[in-house]
Amino acid sequence: MLTPLADSKWNEAAAAHLLNRAGFGGTPTEIEAVRRKGLAAAVRDLVEVKSDAANVPPPSWAHPRNIQAQRMEIKAAKDRGENFQGKARQVRMMEGEEIVDLRRWWLDRMLTGPAPLLEKMTLFWHGHFATSAQKVQDAYWIWLQNDTLRRNAFGNFATLVKKISRDPAMMIYLDLQQSRKEHPNENWARELMELFTVGIGNYTEQDIRESARTFTGYRIDMTTQQFRFAPFQQDRGPKTFMGKTGSLNGDDIIDSLVSKPACAQFIGRKLWRFFVEDDPSRQNVDAIAQRTRAHNFEMRPVLREIFSSAEFYSERVMGSQIKSPIQYIVQTSKLLDAPPPSPIAAQNAMRQMGQILFAPPNVKGWDGGKEWISTSTLLFRYNFANYLINGDAILPQNLQQRRQGADVGFGRATQMAEQVRREPIDLGKLVPADVRSKPREVVDLLIRRFFQTRPAQKEIDSFVQYLESRTSDTADVTLRELIHLMMSTPQFQLT
Amino acid sequence: MLGAAATWTLPVFLEKTFFALDALAADAVTQTVTGKDGTILVVLQMAGGNDGLNMVVPYSDDAYHVARPRLRLSADKVLKIDNHIALSPKLAGLKSLYDEGHVAIVQGVGYPNPNRSHFRSTEIWQTASDADRTVSDGWLGRYFDNCCGGADPTVGVAIGEETPQAFAAKNPTGVTFSRPEQFRFRPSEPGRGQLSAEEIFFRQLNEAGVAEESGTVASNTGGSIGAIPGKAKNDLSTLDFLQRTALDAQLSSDKILAIARKYKSSVTYPQGQLAAGLNIIARMIAGGLPTRVYYASQGGFDTHAGQINTHERLMGEFNDAVTAFVADLKQQGNFERVLLLTFSEFGRRVQENANGGTDHGAAAPMFVLGGAIKPGLFGKYPSLTDLDHGDLKFNTDFRSVYGTVLDRWLKAPSEIVLGRKFPALAIV
Repeated sequence: MLTPLADSKWNEAAAAHLLNRAGFGGTPTEIEAVRRKGLAAAVRDLVEVKSDAANVPPPSWAHPRNIQAQRMEIKAAKDRGENFQGKARQVRMMEGEEIVDLRRWWLDRMLTGPAPLLEKMTLFWHGHFATSAQKVQDAYWIWLQNDTLRRNAFGNFATLVKKISRDPAMMIYLDLQQSRKEHPNENWARELMELFTVGIGNYTEQDIRESARTFTGYRIDMTTQQFRFAPFQQDRGPKTFMGKTGSLNGDDIIDSLVSKPACAQFIGRKLWRFFVEDDPSRQNVDAIAQRTRAHNFEMRPVLREIFSSAEFYSERVMGSQIKSPIQYIVQTSKLLDAPPPSPIAAQNAMRQMGQILFAPPNVKGWDGGKEWISTSTLLFRYNFANYLINGDAILPQNLQQRRQGADVGFGRATQMAEQVRREPIDLGKLVPADVRSKPREVVDLLIRRFFQTRPAQKEIDSFVQYLESRTSDTADVTLRELIHLMMSTPQFQLT
Repeated sequence: MLGAAATWTLPVFLEKTFFALDALAADAVTQTVTGKDGTILVVLQMAGGNDGLNMVVPYSDDAYHVARPRLRLSADKVLKIDNHIALSPKLAGLKSLYDEGHVAIVQGVGYPNPNRSHFRSTEIWQTASDADRTVSDGWLGRYFDNCCGGADPTVGVAIGEETPQAFAAKNPTGVTFSRPEQFRFRPSEPGRGQLSAEEIFFRQLNEAGVAEESGTVASNTGGSIGAIPGKAKNDLSTLDFLQRTALDAQLSSDKILAIARKYKSSVTYPQGQLAAGLNIIARMIAGGLPTRVYYASQGGFDTHAGQINTHERLMGEFNDAVTAFVADLKQQGNFERVLLLTFSEFGRRVQENANGGTDHGAAAPMFVLGGAIKPGLFGKYPSLTDLDHGDLKFNTDFRSVYGTVLDRWLKAPSEIVLGRKFPALAIV
């Protein structure tokens, strides 16, 4: 059982923790507003999102485009021995630009959208049902999957799995659309069990073979770019799955898997790792699995219980999670009260930090936790912070040097000068003029903003000493350097 | 409980075996690195799918000339190795090295059930997994995890913008940079010739925590994450882990920058990304960076159309870069310590296409090059008529090459890194 948090434990630190984990962090003002609301209302506002929060207007290009015709055209040119590369490149370019735009679109929603937990849960499902644009190669399908994940993020898990089994991007990613009655493809069937529902060790190779037969007949209409069912491709023979025999279909398999105790354990553990802590105790996994079953795999009440539990607010858990690269980008923009990095800068940062939206490394998604951090990614975070604070002024001016703008990870910086343009942050928003001349107050103010867990006294003293060492110089540049120093610490990587 | 045992599927078995091997590895010999005498592996990725047929040319095979009316390299131009096999005319430097006994060519390398997607096949080569299994950790990452506990983070160095998946590990080790100057903390205002105030405080903030937290360890070396045995890393608190990594980043950055400043090559390298990468690697080797594995790459091999000029240019770049690198290493007296290994995610279709290019294929040759390797031709040149969907059939699993290099060159137990033992080759 999860223990509800006592009202007396609800305070500023708890409110900050809730915003960090159930969203992408908050400014001191937002944290104070949430604290005042009280725990119950704060959690309610996160999970009871208005129905139109999931009803997000798509980017302008996100509509079906008769991909069949496009690809036929390229193929015909190729078969005729004509130069098809130009046309193919044009299509690829477009797909590339659209994916960059889709990343921008989603980051915007995370940063300014009305439902941060809905976006965070969509990110959880994206990692769970990991699908890469590198294989799918069509931005509309990638958007469509994102939309499906968002619309079902708080809903019923079995329903979501069934929708994903009919999702074109997933069908392409795991070769389901190639599965034929004569040659059932086992890729989807295997991952459905190993990665999406019950986890390894809870099924047999025969279960994979038999269930692969039940998902035959799933097709994509390449003209409309939608799922279509082809009854003639379906294997209607009897199948035996986990001891049950009958003319089972794909949805029967999903229902059967979700009803296994292993599924609640598997999903519960993954949720707990994502929202609460890296190494959940057996007891906490059992508790969350039990609640998941009790709520019949409806995600909304499960999330409500997690974010209302004393376990979630325990001292061990607060401020102990390494920010994922996406969390880093969104939360930092919030804390700096600055626009998000430009689409290209953001995409480069995702690449260098190891989490590119719509391009997980493989079907297992991102492991997260300590795997986010190596000497290279940590140094990149520090240098990226410099860019976020000071803007493109840190990129050297002349051409030769600008090539060295690759120093902060922007390869081919010469062509990108425009695309990575950025203004320095506005310090007036962060530090009122009347405290500027008081180093300890400035440091206190900024620490409250940038760290939810107070750094060690020694570090705080370092920050103060730094300000004092710059004599009475409280010019913007000094304060920006101070913020850069604060962000260039191990502690800042935590949330 | 028979039921439980019966549900033990093959993957579970493999997983368990991996786990058991993992535990075993904790006791295995830890690689000691001094930077001055250990053997070094350089992995060179040819990204995009290199056309093996026009690199190592079966020039006397009629089927080659029939399948490649436009792309074929004629017998009078190629650099002959024997009566059947020759190198591309652009590989003159490599041919000399071959004649000197410094090159092994492993022919017909691939893996069962070849995948023709760049993305997936690259992943298979990087993780050394079977084609039907997805593995997250890279083969070099597993080597770092299992055999390099206690090593400096610069035990692996990748030249590029992005860490290759081959380095992915439970405990991320290794550093990645395009230019040494990039791998450092950049203050807002660069100090002119000396540390700026910001840099001085940065150093304080990124060293202090460790000494304070752990009490006993000295802040300059003892706090390094590398000093913690591999398994124990899982038990570090996240903050402690971050503090140690921060210190490591700083130490490695200092070391790399110092070497980059001190060591310049007297050999002239050609232009190009690969040459620049190999040049950095040679300088790091000269400076004694304690690195066991370097990683460099060359892109552009996806030659679906107009291949003849593109591939010639790529072969030329490859040849010139590698030749300069070898000359540099020889001059340093380090050639005996270095083994360079090439790979590409797949070869290309035997039959050329209608656009004077080739489509994604399967088996292809790998080059193994070094001052102390066993030279010659290994494996068999695959038949150009007995094909699998128009592609060459492999006869040597790429993991045999990896395994041999691990066992005999890096002296690391290959079955721990690769999950099982693959037949060794006499290349080392």
